[in-house]
Amino acid sequence: MFRHPWAPYAFIAPAFLGLFVFRFIPIGLSGFGSVFSENLRGDMVFVGLKNYAELMEDPSFWNTMRVTLIFNLIINPFQICCALALAMLVRRPSRFIDVFRLGFIMPMTVSIALTSIIWSILLDPTLGPVNGLLRWAGFQSQPFFRSEHQALQTLMLVATWKGAGYWMIFLLSGLLAIPKEIDDSALIDGATGIRKFISITLPLMKRPLAFVLVADTAANFLLFAPVYIITNGGPNGATQLLMFEAYQAAFAYINHGRSMAISTIILGVVLVIAMFELRLFKPAGEDQS
Amino acid sequence: MTISRRNLIKSSALGSLALAMPNIVRAQQTTLKVVWMGWPDNQVLPLMAEFEKRNPTIKLALERMPFQQIFQALEIRLNARNGDPDIFIVDSPLTASYASRGHLMELDSLIDKKRFAPSAIAAASFDGKIYSAPFGSSMQVLYYNKDMFKAAGVAPPSADPASRWTWEQLVEAGKKMAKPAENIWGFTFEQQERPYQLLPMGQSLGGTALSPDGFKASSYIDGPAFVEGFTFMQKMYTESKISPPGQFDTALTPELFGAGKCAMMVAGTFVFDTLKTKFPNLDFGVAPHPAFAKGKPVTPTGAWHFGVNARTQQKAAASQFVTDMLSDDMNVLWYKLRPYVPTLNAVWEKEAASFTSDLWKIAKYDVQNTAVPRPATPGFREYEDIVRVALRDIQSGANAQQILTAAAQKIDREIAKYKG
Repeated sequence: MFRHPWAPYAFIAPAFLGLFVFRFIPIGLSGFGSVFSENLRGDMVFVGLKNYAELMEDPSFWNTMRVTLIFNLIINPFQICCALALAMLVRRPSRFIDVFRLGFIMPMTVSIALTSIIWSILLDPTLGPVNGLLRWAGFQSQPFFRSEHQALQTLMLVATWKGAGYWMIFLLSGLLAIPKEIDDSALIDGATGIRKFISITLPLMKRPLAFVLVADTAANFLLFAPVYIITNGGPNGATQLLMFEAYQAAFAYINHGRSMAISTIILGVVLVIAMFELRLFKPAGEDQS
Repeated sequence: MTISRRNLIKSSALGSLALAMPNIVRAQQTTLKVVWMGWPDNQVLPLMAEFEKRNPTIKLALERMPFQQIFQALEIRLNARNGDPDIFIVDSPLTASYASRGHLMELDSLIDKKRFAPSAIAAASFDGKIYSAPFGSSMQVLYYNKDMFKAAGVAPPSADPASRWTWEQLVEAGKKMAKPAENIWGFTFEQQERPYQLLPMGQSLGGTALSPDGFKASSYIDGPAFVEGFTFMQKMYTESKISPPGQFDTALTPELFGAGKCAMMVAGTFVFDTLKTKFPNLDFGVAPHPAFAKGKPVTPTGAWHFGVNARTQQKAAASQFVTDMLSDDMNVLWYKLRPYVPTLNAVWEKEAASFTSDLWKIAKYDVQNTAVPRPATPGFREYEDIVRVALRDIQSGANAQQILTAAAQKIDREIAKYKG
C-alpha cells in the first residue's frame, strides 16, 4: 500500500488540509476583506484600497509600525542569541544536564496568557516582588510596564523568557547534528573556543538558524497576548504593536476592513523580512542555484 | 385488590407517562442563553433561580464574564450576527451603539415608561424607541477609612452634600496618610481607567465630554477643562503619589481599601455591601463625591441595562425574561442583592426604609442634582476604549494635552462611520 503512487500525497494531505484551513483560507479572507468596509448593519461594501490609503495617512498607524519594527529588530537577534547560548550550555552531556534542559524548556509549557499574568504581577511597580527584591538589594524601584521608556524592553524580556527555550530545542538539535569528526579535526588543527564557534559551529548552523530566525520573526510580529493583557499598547503608545492595532480596529473600533488591511500589511512585511533573512542565511554552496 | 385488565392498562399508561414526564417537560422547555456580568455568585444566582422558579419552562444558560473582558467578548459574539446570546447585559451608554448596528430588539411594547425614572428611559432609548431594559442606575460616593483618618489626625469629610470635600482637600488629606514605599495609599478610584468615573474631573471644571450631536470629540475631550482636570488626576499618581498606579482591576481596588491599605476610595453604592460582608472589621464612612474648589459638583451615573438580541430565535421566552425581570418584586430582589440606584419608581417606594442611611441620602441627592450621564453617541464603544487608554497614559506621566488631542482625533475618525 505504501508503494501506491498516491501514498505520499495521502500522507501529506492532512498537513496540507490544516495549512489550507488554518492559514491560506484566513490569509485569503483577510486580503479579500481588506478591500471591503462593513457598514453598521454588517453588510460588506467594496471600497477598493481606501482602508490602505487611510492607514498610510494615519500617524498612529505609522507609530505602531515604527514600534513593531524596533521591537522586532531587537528581539529577534536577542532571542536567537539567548537560544543559541542556552543550546551551547546544555549541549555537552553532564551530570545535571537534563535538569538544565528541562529548566530552560519549562517556560514554553506555560501559556502566553498565563505568562503575561505572572509577569504583570511580578513586575507590578507597587505590589510586585521584583521591585521588592530590587529594594532589598539597595536599588531603586523600577516602573517596568508603567514607563514609556521601559515598557517595550520589558516586553522583550518577557517574550524572550517564554520563547528562548522553545527556539533552543531547534538549535540544540542542529548543534547535535554537527558531525563529531569535524569538531575533532578542528581541535587537531588547534581551533578552540570562540575561533571554533565562529569558523566551524556557526557556518554549520546556518540551516537551523535560518529556520529559527524566520519562524521567530513571524512569531514576534504576531505577538499579541502580553500587549492585550498587560499594557494595552501603552504607556503613550510605547508597546502599540501591529497585531494589537489590528485587534483594536476589529473589536474595539468595529472597523473590520481596517483590521484586515493591517493584518495583510503584517503578512507582507513578514514575507519581505523572511525572504531577506533566508537569503542572508543561505548555506554556502547553494548560491549558484 | 384484584388486578383487572382495565386497571392494568390504566396503571401501565400512567407508569409510562410518569417515565416520559421529564422528557416531555424538557421538550417544552426553552433555553435562553444569557450573558451577564461576572458579579459574585450570591448577587446573581438567586435572581436567576427566582426567574426559573417562576418560569419552569424556561431554562437559563447563564454565562458570566469579568468586567475587563465582557465588552470585547460580547462584540465578537454579536458580530457573528446570529441569535447567540439571546439576552445580554448592556452598559447603558452602549444602547445606541448596539441598537444602531441591529444587535438589540425593540422593547417598547414590553416596557411601561411611566414606571421608570425618565433619565433611565432616556438612557435606554435610541431614535425614540426603547432598546434596552433599565436594570439599575449608579451613583458614586467617597468611602473613607475611619481608623486611618483617626490615626493621622485628619478630620473626616462631612456626609452633607452642601459641604462636600473638594479634590484639593482630598489630596491634602491623602498626603497625610499615604506611604507609597509601604504600599499604603491615600486615595484610589475604584475604576482607575474608566471614563465613567473620571469624566467628572473635567466636567466639574465646565468641560463637555463630546459634542451635543455625539459625533465630535475634538475641542471637547481635549478642551482646557479636561486637560486641567486630568492633569490634576495625573499628579495624584506622579507628584503627591497618594494613588496606587496601574491598579486597573476593579476587583483589586476595593480589596486595597478593604484591607486598610488605602484611606479613601471613590466607588459605587454597590460596593457598600461587598465591603460590609468581606471586611466585617473595617470601620468606614461615606461622604459625597468630591468636586473642584473652583468648579461645580458633577457625579457619574448610568449603569447596567440588559437587552434582547434582535436575532434571537426565542422571542417569546426572551420577552418573558424582560417582563419578569422588570417586575416590582424582581427589582426589589435585585436591589437587595446588589444595591444599584434603582431605576424603577416602585423600588424607591417599597424599600423607602432602607434609603435613610447616609449612603442613600447622598446618592439620592446627587442623582437628582449633580449626576451627568456619559456622552450619548452610537460610537460610545470606541469613545470609551480610546479615552480609557488615554487615561492610562496620562496617569503614567504623559502630557495630558498631547494625549487628549490624539485621542480626540482618533475618536472623530472612528465615530464618523455612524453619521448618516
